[in-house]
Amino acid sequence: MPRFHDLEVTDIHKTIRDAVVVTLKPVNGAAAEFDFTQGQYLTFRRDFDGQELRRSYSICAGKNDGVLQVGIKKVDGGAFSTWANEDLKVGDTLQAMPPMGNFFTALTPEADNSYLGFAGGSGITPVLSIIKTTLEAEPNARFTLVYANKGVNTIMFREELEDLKNTYLGRFSVIHILESDAQEIDLFTGLVTPEKCAELFGSGWLDVKAAKTAFICGPEPMMLGIAQALKDHGMDEAQIKFELFAGNQPGRAPQRAAASAATGGAKTATITLDGATRTVEMDPTQTVLQAALINNLDAPYACSAGVCSTCRCRVLEGEVEMAANHALEDYEIEKGYVLSCQAFPVSDKVVVDYDQ
Amino acid sequence: MTSDTMSIERYLAQGGKLSAPENVPPRYRAELMKLMASFVDSSLAGAAGFADVINAGPGIKERIAAAKIVLKKTDHADRVLRIMAGFGTDTARYANAHPWAARLPRDADIGTQRSEQDMRLAVFNYPLAGWGDAVVMNLLMGLAVGVQLEEMGRISYQPLAEVFREIASRERRHTELAIEGLERLIAEGEASALQTSVTYWRPRVAASFGQEHSEKFERLQALGLRHTPNAALRTRWEDEAASVLTQMGLSA
Repeated sequence: MPRFHDLEVTDIHKTIRDAVVVTLKPVNGAAAEFDFTQGQYLTFRRDFDGQELRRSYSICAGKNDGVLQVGIKKVDGGAFSTWANEDLKVGDTLQAMPPMGNFFTALTPEADNSYLGFAGGSGITPVLSIIKTTLEAEPNARFTLVYANKGVNTIMFREELEDLKNTYLGRFSVIHILESDAQEIDLFTGLVTPEKCAELFGSGWLDVKAAKTAFICGPEPMMLGIAQALKDHGMDEAQIKFELFAGNQPGRAPQRAAASAATGGAKTATITLDGATRTVEMDPTQTVLQAALINNLDAPYACSAGVCSTCRCRVLEGEVEMAANHALEDYEIEKGYVLSCQAFPVSDKVVVDYDQ
Repeated sequence: MTSDTMSIERYLAQGGKLSAPENVPPRYRAELMKLMASFVDSSLAGAAGFADVINAGPGIKERIAAAKIVLKKTDHADRVLRIMAGFGTDTARYANAHPWAARLPRDADIGTQRSEQDMRLAVFNYPLAGWGDAVVMNLLMGLAVGVQLEEMGRISYQPLAEVFREIASRERRHTELAIEGLERLIAEGEASALQTSVTYWRPRVAASFGQEHSEKFERLQALGLRHTPNAALRTRWEDEAASVLTQMGLSA
């Protein structure tokens, strides 16, 4: 299981009003573990009011830039992103797991590839890393980026993209699509819908047929529309790489309910699964999973050995005891998650939910 | 950019892809884990069963082919297990959680049931009976896996879809090895024994496509975890198997 490491903040600067670029340096000899691949992300953890929050942010640096940098855009009501934008300072220490994610393809220096990138808002972060790395590693590669934003002042990394255009003259181009700011070309105003994509592809601004891979990162409806338009223009599903926004992460969890007093004898379990709730009698020697299965509830499980975590559910009321746990981490247990294949009832009444 | 937000469920129902454990809602996670566990358990059980027949290979070439299949199947389990690791699975323990070589008696009748211990497909609970039998099983199951992996290559969890697409091309090679092996056995006059094996394995492999009508399919379809109904996949396999067997003078 990946471990968290300490990273020192060596630089922090705003790229737009509500987004920062944070430069990090692994400490305690963990540098090798943070040798990332373009398009990957870091998962950070931090305690907010006694509860651990984990958030993932994409790396925006190119593989050979020699720095580890992430972009963090402030999300309304987002504890971590607000803190990073308002309180984080040079010299602070952050904790993160080594880079993860599969939003990349292998690079071949001698290849003559053409790539398309589609980014919406802060979805630019991993795409920027891919663009920088690809143009450097594949000297013949061409890259066209379609970058959607509300207006000019919300374009993250605007200057950096201009610099890249100059560095890689003729190999890199950017089309800015702005929702509210008018542009010289009508086609570049509005939302990136399938229709807009079809117009872009049809007008020769982008050559879908020549592209080896398309990278898409942005809000879900935008990604769906672009993928559809690419497929309509002959691109195969395997050529389209998606990365979902970091913003689409579960919010803060409510506190676990207090356990009721425990006694021996028969117990009851109230089990929610696929939106339906049932209360069943259970024997104290049965696990919560067994109680569900015996009562014909299609509860998820696989290894039955506390190893795989497929049977994870959340205890909302009452108390259970796990015989073994090789899969859940402390922060999950704190939130009330248990492995139902290992969970024996301790309190007379147990309420669990597989849908949370 | 668009400012409207969309629920993960709607996004998936419309063909959206998920890319990391952090994006995955709880019930999706559970179904995805089951699906991965089923693949890993089937691969490990398949490899363990095949390992026993390496020595039964009539010549060096056959033993190399069998050993390669064992290696690849174990490697495929490892690749999917590594994706499970992103969701918290303890992979070292998982690999040794069950006696993968264990089998039921050859005449056990378990239909599509999985054992209580692991999630391997029912077909991997039956023992192989010698070299020819193993080759027949490998051919029929190889063709079935080909059809199933094509379906799995479209799965909405993109890292897994990519692994399945890689595996699919390698699995095709297993089927080719099985066809070569079968042709050699037929040339040596083993057709009648092979036909007995075909009759034994055919319904058992067919059962690995699951129930004809499954409510679960619709639920998985809404999550983008399935696309083609069980019956359609099974029919495709039946057609392919019949065509290969007929060409070799065996009946499906």
